[in-house]
Amino acid sequence: MNWVGLNTLINREVGRFFSVYRQTVLPGLISSGLYIVIFGFTLEQRISEIQGIPYTLFILPGLIMMNTLTNATANTSSSMLQMKLLQQLPDLLTAPLSGFEISLAYIIGGTVRGVVNGILVLMLGMFLTDLTIVDPVGTIAFIFLVSWAFASMGLILGQIAESWDQLAMMQNFFLTPLSFLGGIFYSITMLPEWAQSLSFINPIYYMINGIRYTILGVSDSSFSVSFWMALILTVLFSTVAMLLMQSGKKIKQ
Amino acid sequence: MSQPAIHIKGLTKSYGDVTALRGVDMTIKQGEFFGLLGPNGAGKTTIINILTGLIFRDKGITEVFGKDTVKDFRFTRSKIGIAAQELSVDWFFPIEKLLYFQAGYYGLTTQKAKPKIDDLLERLGLSGKRESRLRQLSGGMKRRFQLAKALVHDPDIIILDEPTAGVDVELRRSLWQYLRDLHSQGRTILLTTHYIEEAELLCENVAIIDEGKILKEGSPKDLTRELGTAGITVQLGNMENEIESFLDKFTFTRKENRIHFLVNNPDSAMPEIILQLSKANVQIQSIETNISSLEDVFLNLTGKGINE
Repeated sequence: MNWVGLNTLINREVGRFFSVYRQTVLPGLISSGLYIVIFGFTLEQRISEIQGIPYTLFILPGLIMMNTLTNATANTSSSMLQMKLLQQLPDLLTAPLSGFEISLAYIIGGTVRGVVNGILVLMLGMFLTDLTIVDPVGTIAFIFLVSWAFASMGLILGQIAESWDQLAMMQNFFLTPLSFLGGIFYSITMLPEWAQSLSFINPIYYMINGIRYTILGVSDSSFSVSFWMALILTVLFSTVAMLLMQSGKKIKQ
Repeated sequence: MSQPAIHIKGLTKSYGDVTALRGVDMTIKQGEFFGLLGPNGAGKTTIINILTGLIFRDKGITEVFGKDTVKDFRFTRSKIGIAAQELSVDWFFPIEKLLYFQAGYYGLTTQKAKPKIDDLLERLGLSGKRESRLRQLSGGMKRRFQLAKALVHDPDIIILDEPTAGVDVELRRSLWQYLRDLHSQGRTILLTTHYIEEAELLCENVAIIDEGKILKEGSPKDLTRELGTAGITVQLGNMENEIESFLDKFTFTRKENRIHFLVNNPDSAMPEIILQLSKANVQIQSIETNISSLEDVFLNLTGKGINE
């Protein structure tokens, strides 16, 4: 195992997104703040409590989760595609680093970005509302798990994608709609039955409800199902990402 | 006898229907300055990309200091420093930081890498630019940074893929001098080039490659002795007229206004060349006979010029 190489690449990946924090950290914080102020505070007067929770607090876990998973995905996918397009990838592929080490470093970099963004939105929520977290350790652990899973998924997308257009398509047509349809702003019990059934096949629904349980103690789905779903996605995406990197698909001829 | 620095045997590679390498055999001794000479698309970059792990080989043996480049990739890659032909771009970090990253990939901590990086930045005239981003460097500086990146982990083998492509004469000369210094320190250097002069001037041994096959290997002197014939170089003043049809009895290469003829006896061939060029109604600016060069060898082996 090339530990120094692994550590260097992790530092590079983390340093990369911190060096452009105006693009990678602040936007999620600002948009979440706006959601809390505009949707939360204005709609709270018109929407009664959901599962005994005021509306502003109810949407907060979903916003955290949306930020976490979009940032984790974006970090690995954009970094990998950028390295491919800007001819930086040969520096890694000709170094004494295995595919496992390269993918692990990328995933850790993406996980750090997901966790940082998730925790910052959580802190913003605590600042703007009178939120008290039911299970702080569980919340951090869940943010970490989901960050890891979606950082792995992002790496797969970044390795397969050939253009920014393809990457944006994944983000705009799949990730964002699935996040919104996963119940950030509503409980699925408010939906008609057919729409509820559709939610059950949306993995992000389980992520949002998992973190809602750790933060607020309420959830549409059972926490153990959410936890197992997050764990399965983590193992599945990590394995595929590492095997794909090892295979050299789309990055080696 | 010590292991060869690089040993390649029966190496083949195809990209879909296109065959890039057709059974390449090549051995480079430790401490040798070796040139891989061939036109664009001959297979030079494919060979070095297979050696460094950037491309999968189809068949054959590729070894560095006796170890397989796939099975023992950690060992073989740590021995090689490569300056690729294509310049990379980075938007995020200053060049000094990029060199620390590069050293780190090869297992060197910041502390261990510092003296080497300071020395390289100084020697390559980049110490005033350590905080600059790559996009702020001139083309020549980028090329020197590329070399610094290849040398940062102190490799035993340095692979340079067309290191002087597109650089001005002054920088080319200073890079050549730097490469000679590295070679005198005992480094093995593999240089790919399509500049004949570069190979003749620097390399102890060259392999001439065309269409994925090594045609001949040896020292530039031996090759020119064995395969070279004398040449006549004509510099033309005007190029408006079609001249090829007048010269069909000669073997020649043409680069803009310069025509290089491959002849056995310059004294007897020269009047005929002048006659044919006069018939073509072109103005001759200068004419000179020259002793055999690698260019003649290449022409003799492939029937075409290296830049064709």
